[in-house]
Amino acid sequence: MIAAIDVGKLFELVWAAALAGIAVGVSFSLVIIGVVRAEDCRRNRRSGSATAYAALSVVSAIAFLAIAVFGIVVITAK
Amino acid sequence: MGSDVILVIVVVTALAFDFTNGFHDTANAIATSVSTRAMSPRFAVAMSAVLNFAGAFISLKVAATVGSGIVDSGAVTTTVVFAGLVGAIAWNLATWWAGLPSSSSHALIGGLIGSAFAASGPSAIDVDGVVEKVLVPAAVAPLLAFVVAASTIVVIYWMVGNLRPGPVNRGYRLGQVVSGSMFSLAHGTNDAQKTMGIITLALIAHGNLPADSFDVPFWVIVSSATAIALGTYIGGWRIIRTVGSRIIKMDPAQGFAAQGAGAAVVLTASHLGFPLSTTHVISGGVMGAGAAKRLSAVRWGVAGNIAIAWILTLPAAAIIGAVVYGISSAFGSGALGPLVVALGLVGLLIAAFVRRFAQQRLAAAQ
Repeated sequence: MIAAIDVGKLFELVWAAALAGIAVGVSFSLVIIGVVRAEDCRRNRRSGSATAYAALSVVSAIAFLAIAVFGIVVITAK
Repeated sequence: MGSDVILVIVVVTALAFDFTNGFHDTANAIATSVSTRAMSPRFAVAMSAVLNFAGAFISLKVAATVGSGIVDSGAVTTTVVFAGLVGAIAWNLATWWAGLPSSSSHALIGGLIGSAFAASGPSAIDVDGVVEKVLVPAAVAPLLAFVVAASTIVVIYWMVGNLRPGPVNRGYRLGQVVSGSMFSLAHGTNDAQKTMGIITLALIAHGNLPADSFDVPFWVIVSSATAIALGTYIGGWRIIRTVGSRIIKMDPAQGFAAQGAGAAVVLTASHLGFPLSTTHVISGGVMGAGAAKRLSAVRWGVAGNIAIAWILTLPAAAIIGAVVYGISSAFGSGALGPLVVALGLVGLLIAAFVRRFAQQRLAAAQ
């Protein structure tokens, strides 16, 4: 019965799922941080920081969408 | 003529199972979005129904694997399939009545195991296959989703904890639209295909399709996709309430962490060819997102009831499947047995709904 369990695949699942889950959370949180901080900086007339935070949110949004697209590819390739 | 009647009964029963799958399992995908008000209930259910319908057309690879490696294909007859489906439907309805999220796939596998066991004895069951494809994933899915969601919410709170809560909550609600959509699409590709596989197996067993190839007819794809989408649109509120608000009261960040971590776990597992239940994953994710904030935030009594339902799913569906096979075969090998069971089941369902309707009218009158 133990032979039926592929421990290597199980271990790969654990670390890959943990990495993917945290990557989803971090990338989307960076989008939110970028948007909120950019708005705050604009309100305080700090245009340089506002641009930097806006860029952070754009890059993070691209990363988040890339993860989502990869998910759709996984679904369709199943 | 008799075998034609059995085939029709099996197809209708398979579509009925697909319908219960829709209103039972699909709720999981959108429950957290509804409870955090990321989407209105009507929009969430409609979106999930559409994505489940679309998901059913994306791939047909899962359809070819139904029951393989778990039950000996030589033991599978239309009556065995029928009895297995009834076992799965009965367990789905019982857990839906109790508002407990349980895996429809495990109920289907349990039903098939029970009916095949009753038909051909223990040699019809591949124990290693059951361990590898059902028991290990059932243990891994909720624990992994729990840990990943808990880790994710800790990181999220650390990152956005000192920001204004208004825009942060709005942001995570928006994120839930994406994560909820992914979950619904993944569910549609998985679960509607199981019904397609069952109907195609029955058509092959009946001689309508060649046995050497596994080509799912277009009408089977359309009817399975429609059944799961209709089930999604019509039902699911009891389980949405349990997953969305009875396990924990969640904020949008927790809802996003649970769904995002859950989607990551399900898709990583799919990528590695490891079959996990979406029900187990999202329930584990919700508990993890709650427990990481505060252990007492999770209503452990509700979580315990859910865990008991998971443990009971396989044996309970198997017992019902075996009993239904016994009753069906008591009427001989023809169509009479399945017909009697099917009519009995429909009668019981009508009686239950009439009783419930009468109770609601009585309560409204008081």
